[in-house]
Amino acid sequence: MSEVSGDGGKWLDAHYDPVAGLYTFSSCVDLADLSGDGESRLVVGDLGSGLSGMKLKVFQGTALLSESTLLDLPTGLVAFFMDLHEPRIPAVAVASGPCIYVYKNLRPYFKFTLPGLEVNPVEQDVWQQVKEGQIDPLTMKEMLEGIRKKADVPLSVRSLRFLSLETDEMDEFVQLHKQQPIKRQTVITCVGTLKKSTADEDGVSCLVIGTESSNVYVLDPEAFIILSKMSLPAPPTMIDVTGQFDVEFRITVACRNGNIYILRRDSDKPKYSMELSSHPVGLVRVGKNVVVGCTDESLQGFTQKGKKLWRTTLPAPIITMAAMDLPTRGFQGVLVGLANCEVHLYRDKNLLSNIKTPDVVTSICFGRYGREDGTLIMTTKGGGLMVKILKRTAIFDDRDGTPGPPLAQSVRLNVPKKTKLYVDQTLRERENGVAMHRAFYMDLSRMRLAAAKAYVKALESSLTPMSSSLSEPLKMNAVVQGLGPTFKLTLNMQNTAACRPVMNLAISFLYDENLYRMRTPYLRIPLLVPGLIYPVETLVECTSDKGISDIIKVFVLHEGKGCPLLTAHINMPVSEGLMLN
Amino acid sequence: MGLFDRLIGWLGLKKEVNILCLGLDNSGKTTIINKLKPNNAQTQDIVPTIGFSIEKFKTSSLSFTVFDMSGQGRYRNLWEHYYKEGQAIIFVIDSADKLRMVVAKEELDTLLNHPDIKHRRIPILFFANKMDVRDALSSVKVSQLLCLDNIKDKPWHICATDALRGDGLQEGVDWLQDQIKSLRT
Repeated sequence: MSEVSGDGGKWLDAHYDPVAGLYTFSSCVDLADLSGDGESRLVVGDLGSGLSGMKLKVFQGTALLSESTLLDLPTGLVAFFMDLHEPRIPAVAVASGPCIYVYKNLRPYFKFTLPGLEVNPVEQDVWQQVKEGQIDPLTMKEMLEGIRKKADVPLSVRSLRFLSLETDEMDEFVQLHKQQPIKRQTVITCVGTLKKSTADEDGVSCLVIGTESSNVYVLDPEAFIILSKMSLPAPPTMIDVTGQFDVEFRITVACRNGNIYILRRDSDKPKYSMELSSHPVGLVRVGKNVVVGCTDESLQGFTQKGKKLWRTTLPAPIITMAAMDLPTRGFQGVLVGLANCEVHLYRDKNLLSNIKTPDVVTSICFGRYGREDGTLIMTTKGGGLMVKILKRTAIFDDRDGTPGPPLAQSVRLNVPKKTKLYVDQTLRERENGVAMHRAFYMDLSRMRLAAAKAYVKALESSLTPMSSSLSEPLKMNAVVQGLGPTFKLTLNMQNTAACRPVMNLAISFLYDENLYRMRTPYLRIPLLVPGLIYPVETLVECTSDKGISDIIKVFVLHEGKGCPLLTAHINMPVSEGLMLN
Repeated sequence: MGLFDRLIGWLGLKKEVNILCLGLDNSGKTTIINKLKPNNAQTQDIVPTIGFSIEKFKTSSLSFTVFDMSGQGRYRNLWEHYYKEGQAIIFVIDSADKLRMVVAKEELDTLLNHPDIKHRRIPILFFANKMDVRDALSSVKVSQLLCLDNIKDKPWHICATDALRGDGLQEGVDWLQDQIKSLRT
């Protein structure tokens, strides 16, 4: 059960259930002492299949403790202390849709709904008119289209739905909805917690919510009123909060536009921003620095003012990230779940531990589980639950994981060996160098002469399948298909000019009439548009039963001129059809 | 042996034996030691041990001094300082804590491989405690998970116990007493 894997024996395999049926992400997993007895439970917002089966699950030890159905897909889950009552039992907040459901003692306790957004008054006016019967749905559609294009306040969901309807469905939709007032809701994308006034482990925390409308809200823990509202340039996707609300805090937010913004107390706009080269997939704070995992398989470290410190490349795409914080040993690191079924532990840019997992890890949570402080809980893509415990004696040394020169340097070069033959040859060259040089130059000149003669001859009789004339630049190749006695001859013609078509061309075949029969030995070619390939097909029938093959010559001619533009020689294959008979 | 024992009994002296009581936190070490003490010396409420405490109890022929060590992670490195004094070890396991069985095994392995323990033939008594909890593992299962079969050079014994009621404790202590007596001679 506790065999040593690729992690250097630093982790103990406490539990692995490959069929736990947990489908979740790191943002929906938390550890909390839900009964106040000193044993932490694992609280998971299970996404189910994404459409159904959303559940709030609580695990204790190796067993599922409780399960309750969630109404909507959870986007974030945090456990936090909302009051100072004894015993100190944290509440669980589950964000889904525009609401936050707060559970106390695993029972629904409170539902907080985000305030609606402002509605475009013109849009409201249009709906008012249709309600009073002053305009018909078609006119309304035109007016709403106009608003959608011009107005800076976006339309409500209802109007957008109306615009997407067919004409015959409109009337029914209007009748159904015209009585209700128009609302514009936003949805929660991420949740975090922020200590209210003390930095204690069990201090009262505020909820920090990021919404699709590019806002960040800080909620009062007891009264659930909005304490602070901040706006961002883009919808946030991941959030990380430190500090205390009453003193000083920093909210680090990764947004959908691929930037990271840092919000501070007393300003409702981001104070610093970091522009990344690719989208962030994970955001973790280590001490005062922020570690960001990007889609380009890299891990980057930034200061809290947005200055880049380091960057390291990973072997596979990042699936999830989580912080590893062990205050008793003063250790802080980042756990990165990769697509190649590994979980890496980094401190700054140094790889400290590499855990191999049987499946791709989709969520990571590190902290106190049960009575053990250093517990790593992972859920896999296939729905498995894996618990590992950090050994008491495990030491992470800060040495760089990749020692020495790269592996490629130690590969021997493939230099060929030289034999005695080569040495004899060099000796001969050294002795008779002058004669060799002269003889070679004589031969080279002769070869040039012969090549030039042959080229001129080919040009004169237009034997080449490429036309070099400037007025009709043409290219042709011929393909013979079939076994015989009937062959299909395809000539692919192409005009290679930039923008001039070629007209009035014809193809003529020259062949031995005793051997072959061709229905159309003379073909006219359509106008050749530059760039396109024109296949010109004809059928050739072999009449000889002796198994003889011959050459067919193809000439491309310009009508009215005797000299062919191109010529192609086709070596006809032996007709197999007659031999079979 | 008979003569020596009779002599001891006649003199009214009992042999002193030092025992180390080890195990993870919340496994029931202090509760077990408390239950082994005479009724009038037992304490009512048991709190997590800080560091360690020294307890004494007697059986028919031996007087035990027990080093009741704290099992919390941060105090576990204290254990090895007392290995030299220990003449026997009581290792307590929470049978209901399946998750941390690997941690118990890990601590047992480091204990057995420690230079002060490795080459001494000292008896080890395992208490698979908390048998009263509903889904507790049996003592056979516990000994499988801890790979107790691999301990070849030391006498060991595992007892299923319920320290709150005291079930199974006497059996274990009797075994320990026999082992210590047989080792002495």
